[in-house]
Amino acid sequence: MDFSLSEEQQDVQKLAAQILAQEVTVDRLKEIEASEERFDERLWQHLAEAGLLGMAVAETYGGMGFDFETLCLLVEEVGKTVAAVPVIPALAGAALALQQFGTASQCGRWLPGVASGKLLITAALTEPGNDDPSRPATRLVQADGLWSLHGHKNMVVCADRAGAVLLTAQLDGELVLLAIAPTVKGASLIPQHVTTGEPQYSLHFDGATVTANDIIARGANARCAVQSMVQHTLVANSVMTLGVTETMLRMTAAYTSERVQFDRPIATFQAVSHRAADAYIDVENLRLACQQAASLLSKQLDASESVLIAKIWASDVAHRVSQSSQHLHGGIGVDRDYPLFRYCLWAKQLELTLGGGSAYLTRLGDRIAEEFKNRLTSKVVAIDAA
Amino acid sequence: MNIALTAEQLALRAQIREYMASLMTPELLHELAGAQREGGGPQHRKALRQMGSDGWIVRSWPREYGGQDAGPIEQYIFCDEVIRAGFPYPFLTTDGVGPVLADVASDDIRQAVVDPILRGECIIAIGYSEPAAGTDLASLTTRAERKDGQWLINGQKIWTSYGNVADYVWLAARTDPHAAKKHHGISMFLVPTTAPGFSFTPINTLGVRTNATYYENIALEDKWQVGPLNQGWQMITAQLNRERLSLVNHGPCELLYERVATWAAQTKAGSDGSAVIDLPWVRNNLARVKAGLEILRLVCFKQAWSMSHASLGMAQASAAKIYGSEFFVEAWRLLLEIVGQAGALCSDSEGAILQGTLEHRYRSGSVLTFGGGTNEVQRDIVAAAGLLMPRYR
Repeated sequence: MDFSLSEEQQDVQKLAAQILAQEVTVDRLKEIEASEERFDERLWQHLAEAGLLGMAVAETYGGMGFDFETLCLLVEEVGKTVAAVPVIPALAGAALALQQFGTASQCGRWLPGVASGKLLITAALTEPGNDDPSRPATRLVQADGLWSLHGHKNMVVCADRAGAVLLTAQLDGELVLLAIAPTVKGASLIPQHVTTGEPQYSLHFDGATVTANDIIARGANARCAVQSMVQHTLVANSVMTLGVTETMLRMTAAYTSERVQFDRPIATFQAVSHRAADAYIDVENLRLACQQAASLLSKQLDASESVLIAKIWASDVAHRVSQSSQHLHGGIGVDRDYPLFRYCLWAKQLELTLGGGSAYLTRLGDRIAEEFKNRLTSKVVAIDAA
Repeated sequence: MNIALTAEQLALRAQIREYMASLMTPELLHELAGAQREGGGPQHRKALRQMGSDGWIVRSWPREYGGQDAGPIEQYIFCDEVIRAGFPYPFLTTDGVGPVLADVASDDIRQAVVDPILRGECIIAIGYSEPAAGTDLASLTTRAERKDGQWLINGQKIWTSYGNVADYVWLAARTDPHAAKKHHGISMFLVPTTAPGFSFTPINTLGVRTNATYYENIALEDKWQVGPLNQGWQMITAQLNRERLSLVNHGPCELLYERVATWAAQTKAGSDGSAVIDLPWVRNNLARVKAGLEILRLVCFKQAWSMSHASLGMAQASAAKIYGSEFFVEAWRLLLEIVGQAGALCSDSEGAILQGTLEHRYRSGSVLTFGGGTNEVQRDIVAAAGLLMPRYR
């Protein structure tokens, strides 16, 4: 058992923190927020130059070949600064799945650009009314040796600048994972306005052409790929939540230590310090949930239960720490001239991404029921009489 | 990062689990099901001596005492399995007071007390709290005065668990009533329960039996005063930190979660043949317990790992105590709901579910949020040490 980071990981963490602290000032965030693109191209290129975008991309494709756990260190730092860069859909969602399940030619086509920052790829995991990409309503229809795509994906991050979008569709009941350019004929983008202001688009397909080369995985292989994408995305979202809530908590501790009412810093009231202490416990517990899930995924061990637990904690902690931080700040916490509000918006968006905690609590409960019913039928466990 | 037990650690856990299963004889279980539930009865004493002679007690001790210097993770596994087995192991004696005595007591005391501890022949009760000194422990008024070359002890302690069966009480007494601050001027004594002037009365709590203990003109030789005079406070706080760690082990909750889930899978919910575990809200309750339990397990192992790297912070230790104790209260409630109305049946009742364990657990579980350092004080520590927030003075 070892909870420590390797030297390599510590270097990555330091490098990421340093670049983000330098680039992501409040002024820079305001500048991005005022822009049309809502994307920090300068930072993205800086991260690419430092090798951080290719961190989890294999060396063959111009990356550094580190594991998912190490990638999560970058994600946590992005969460701490709420930088306007789509590291999760691009790196944890799309690139990892492509690398693991794509052919050599598909990897060669997309991954070097991901690592160099020349090309952005993203993932479309949700549809209207459906947060489960393994059951898409989007359809592939076969015609003349080619396929055409029909359907509607929702809230696709940076679809406007993506060279390819990874998404799922069904072909006569068979699940298919494919990568398609959102500029292809028969595809259209409509900008959406999401709570954080992150650039998101609904993506409509009305007979867009799909070739064999666009198909990454089919059938059982596609189910594995989608499960992997969802798990990595859920854990990366949880890790970003960790970064977001850590910063909110630090801001709250600092503000309440300075703010004087009734002739004393309000932090000296136990009603204040105890609520902050509860937020501290929440954040540290979330850290452990994330570390376990990320570590299991990196080692390609069964992470199903840990991923659900990380998501459940992340959703609860995002909500609680955000609300406590706003409350303990009082009026200044909701003032858009004070930086806390961005973190609160991100906390809620992350909480809702791929569905809220209750949905995952239900899945965990179903797993548990399955597990204990199986134990009975396999008679692994004798009737407990101790 | 690798958050899994090593093969050796897993083997150790299996070994202890097997050993404890053999130790928990029907006679011992019978004794523990009755009035001597908390330990100290003849069967419990016998089993403890067995653990001593089989080398389990000394295992975590330094090699100079014949131990194996077992690391904090190994010791956590040991604690967890022993508690899981339902054996009332006197951790405060073996891992709390014992090592302190070995460090600072005179040779005389070491022979008379430390060796028997390691043989499983000695139980020590803790005499800290008083009727007017609980959370504010430094207000204690039990006094030790010099008289005719001896110490004369007078006072009263409360919540002295094991006080009715222990061989000694590890007693905090005021030796300098004029000290500038109240947590100065306190010293530690080892009081033999056979000393004239020692007595106890039972306190039957909601969950367990404990005691009030009385010290009336107990005369002690110098050797029974342990550690630096008037500097007992440091020894108390060091020992409380150690105690806090063993309060929130995840094992017993995990065991009960598994028993309830198994019960729910086996038990028919009604005439349609479905099981209790098929009810959506039952699954929800189990999921909530599981999600909390998994984090408690990680919190505990992270603590043990931090201790083995000498980096356990105050905020971390207090956070674990708060989280664990409050999670238990919630977990017992969620599990009791699953069992339903029959969850209120006691262990000795016809129709009790899972031997009434949950009914007893919810009664005894409520003490953890204030015992071992009340959670309000722990939250003060978390805010000050973890978040650097100023404290009220």
